[in-house]
Amino acid sequence: MAEILFYVLSALALLTGFGVVLAKSPMMSILSLLGSFFCLAVIYLLAGFQFLAAAQILVYAGAILVLFLFVIMLLNLGDMGVVAERSNSFLDSTAARLGAALAVGLGVIGLVAASKAAFQPAQAEPGKALDGLEAIALQLFGRYSLAFEAASILLLATMVAVIALAKRQRKSGQNPTQNGGRA
Amino acid sequence: MNVPSEHLLYLAAGLFAIGVLGFLIRRNVIVVLMCIELMLNAANLTFLAASRQHSTAQAANLDGPVFAIFVILVAACEAAVGLALIIALFRLKQSVEADSLSEMKG
Amino acid sequence: MGGTWLLWFIPLLPLFGAAACGLIHFATLAAQKGDGSGKRPSALAPLVACAAIAGSLGLSIAAFKELAALPADARVIESAVWEWIHAGSLKLDISLVVDPLSAVMLLVVTGVGFLIHVYSAGYMKGDPGYAKFFAYLNLFVFSMLMLVLSSSLVGLFVGWEGVGLCSYLLIGFWYEKGWPAEAGQKAFIANRVGDASFLIGSFILIKLFGTLDMSDINAAVAGVASDPAKAWWLTVGALCLFGGCTGKSAQLPLFTWLPDAMAGPTPVSALIHAATMVTAGVYLVVRLNPVFAADPAVMTVIGTVGALTALIGGTSAIFQRDIKKVLAYSTVSQLGYMFLGLGSGAFASAIFHLVTHAFFKGLLFLGAGSVIHGMHDEQDMHKMGGLKHHMPKTFATFLAGAAALSGLPLLSGFFSKDEILAHTFAHGGFHQVLWGIGIVTAAITAYYTWRMVALTFFGKERFDHHHVHPHESPAVMWVPLAVLAVLSVFGGVLGLPPVFHVAHQLETWLEPVTAPGKALLAMHGTHTLSHAAEWALLGLGSVIALVFATLGFRAYVGGTARDENVERTKPALADFLVGAWKIDAKYYAVIVYPAKLVAFVTAVFVDQFAIDGLVNGAGGLATATGNRLKILVDGSLKSYALWIGAGAVLLAFLWMFV
Repeated sequence: MAEILFYVLSALALLTGFGVVLAKSPMMSILSLLGSFFCLAVIYLLAGFQFLAAAQILVYAGAILVLFLFVIMLLNLGDMGVVAERSNSFLDSTAARLGAALAVGLGVIGLVAASKAAFQPAQAEPGKALDGLEAIALQLFGRYSLAFEAASILLLATMVAVIALAKRQRKSGQNPTQNGGRA
Repeated sequence: MNVPSEHLLYLAAGLFAIGVLGFLIRRNVIVVLMCIELMLNAANLTFLAASRQHSTAQAANLDGPVFAIFVILVAACEAAVGLALIIALFRLKQSVEADSLSEMKG
Repeated sequence: MGGTWLLWFIPLLPLFGAAACGLIHFATLAAQKGDGSGKRPSALAPLVACAAIAGSLGLSIAAFKELAALPADARVIESAVWEWIHAGSLKLDISLVVDPLSAVMLLVVTGVGFLIHVYSAGYMKGDPGYAKFFAYLNLFVFSMLMLVLSSSLVGLFVGWEGVGLCSYLLIGFWYEKGWPAEAGQKAFIANRVGDASFLIGSFILIKLFGTLDMSDINAAVAGVASDPAKAWWLTVGALCLFGGCTGKSAQLPLFTWLPDAMAGPTPVSALIHAATMVTAGVYLVVRLNPVFAADPAVMTVIGTVGALTALIGGTSAIFQRDIKKVLAYSTVSQLGYMFLGLGSGAFASAIFHLVTHAFFKGLLFLGAGSVIHGMHDEQDMHKMGGLKHHMPKTFATFLAGAAALSGLPLLSGFFSKDEILAHTFAHGGFHQVLWGIGIVTAAITAYYTWRMVALTFFGKERFDHHHVHPHESPAVMWVPLAVLAVLSVFGGVLGLPPVFHVAHQLETWLEPVTAPGKALLAMHGTHTLSHAAEWALLGLGSVIALVFATLGFRAYVGGTARDENVERTKPALADFLVGAWKIDAKYYAVIVYPAKLVAFVTAVFVDQFAIDGLVNGAGGLATATGNRLKILVDGSLKSYALWIGAGAVLLAFLWMFV
């Protein structure tokens, strides 16, 4: 039963992945990506990674994709992206064809590599999480504590960078008195 | 679930290739960013497959999940910075087309 | 002393003094640049410098008293301060140690050093680098004290290099004249050859003994020497260390830098190039005496080098016209005597001669400085003469120094030199040949010393009365001369020969230090002289000194005729001797000019064509390649993405299938 579910979800994930690439509107891309992430979350669950499945839903679907959505709405791109893509359709430029060829090549290499790995079927243990929360926490605060702390610095730096980038710069043509001298 | 781990890897390879495809052929920078997220997910799946393979009934191998968590974190940072850049780009050019970024040379 | 930590102030006081004098020098420069009003901060420098050395001297005397109060076999005061290097099995502490040997050296360095500092206050007055001079001088005393006090070979080497640096700085003190700077470089390079040898020797000792502490090494020598495989390495190490000594102490084959070193101010010649630094090699051999004594062959090498250097130095002094050159070659010769004594196992005698030599040669150099000062920087003895009426105090003290140097009976030099010769003679075998060389050199020494006295102070006044008005030096200069003269005359009581039936003070005092080396030498047989033989040697020494002193004096008291006679009849001989057996010239022909040629070829062809070509070619290649490749960098995000993708595919392909 679980096996069948895995293959079905895999097919769905790949399909929705194609949806991301092929959708004309960015909005449709985001929805496809959401579907792909959900499929992956369930696959994580099936493979025994319960915490990762939860994190996938919460962080990716819940936070990151919403961020994308916000930006699209903020920039009001709903139609603009569609118009832009339509003006010359996907695979008509040389660069796009080259890119497609590269992607296919990479995919083939990946598939061959995966088959070369020649894994034995894993020792399945139904219902038992491979990533127990306590064990993960012990790893994070023990062996990986340095990386964990570095990650906090990365987040802080990202926050500062995003604020700096997204802050509205005063245009040079604007009358300074209107802004009361605010930068 | 009694699926061989290499099937997880096949799925990862497929998703990664799709991500690369989108990354290379799409002109909308937001979609390009999404494709990067897709590739990062494929990488995560690889980590988890390896972790699953190297776990035994007695002792779970936790390096994979921990790395996946760090990847998710980096993905979040990358998306935040990338989107901020897109906002800045849009302010500058009134466009989110990758082709509009053609001045990145010395 | 209240605590062993006070030991640290013996070297530290001069170091602080050097720092203070350096600051005073900068203050002087600033004042000169400023208003040019008569304010001279540099007048402070001699006070600070002399006070620092006086403090060191006081502490040294205190340390000496403390040491003397201890029982003879426990005369060691050690003060460990910190652990410098601790890597693996190598442990290196910075610690100072005073034992009978370093106590003697301490007193000589600080005592003679103090007198020379006082003298310099008068001699260097008015020099633009007055404060700088005292900074260097204090720094030198600091380095010399570190050399003498360090308990480990590495600490000794730090001091060894420090004195070399100060020597370089002080030889080239008047660098704007040109040749002093070159002389400084020559000294530095010649010393570098010796120092490399010293380092190799140290490495061998580390390998053999696993420690750098010199007392540990001395204690372990007997064990190492009994192992044939290690004994060979011990011999090599000892020879390498002796190679270092030949550099620092101006022995064959590296002595040629010392005569040139006279380019420095005369107090520098007195302090560094006569009394203290050049004796560092003698100190090292005595300090590590078991290492050298372990193999009689090493001792023979040391003795032979010493004897030959004594002879070459002595003969080179005979026809020199520059008063400082005479003294310089005389110093080379006297250092040769010390090594001759060391080679016969007469460690205490070598130190005895070191001490008396520090007194009388320091005195002679300072006296020569006083003459040069009074003669308005004239150094050529042919342009002096008859100065005894103009400079009576300098003359009297110079006479005492000359008498001691030439070994006139009952003066300090007589006892120390005869003791070395007696030990060499008693050692027997090949060493009696060396003794013969020593006796010949003693005769030569007496001759050139009194030639110098006669040419300088007696005879007609050969200088130009219109331009030169010889005058006595101020008290600040002649008082140190007087003190040194007293020491030169009575210094002999430190080590009266056995026939006088008085205990040899210095030998008894140094016994704890020299005992291990003597014990090792005793394994190859002991040598003693009968009283009759000793009386005979003393008598022979006295007669030779008196006869040749008279000969030298008589030949030159009338004027320079004899020199001119020799130059006319035997120009080759005069040239040969004045040029120090042409050894320096041979070095130039064999080493310096070929090296310069190689350097020139390298500079012009290898560097400019090959290396510059390679470097410029690399730059040109990069530019050309960049110009071709820059079409790839078109500034478009899409093409960059494509390149990244292509690279990823290539890498993946390589990893998977190649």
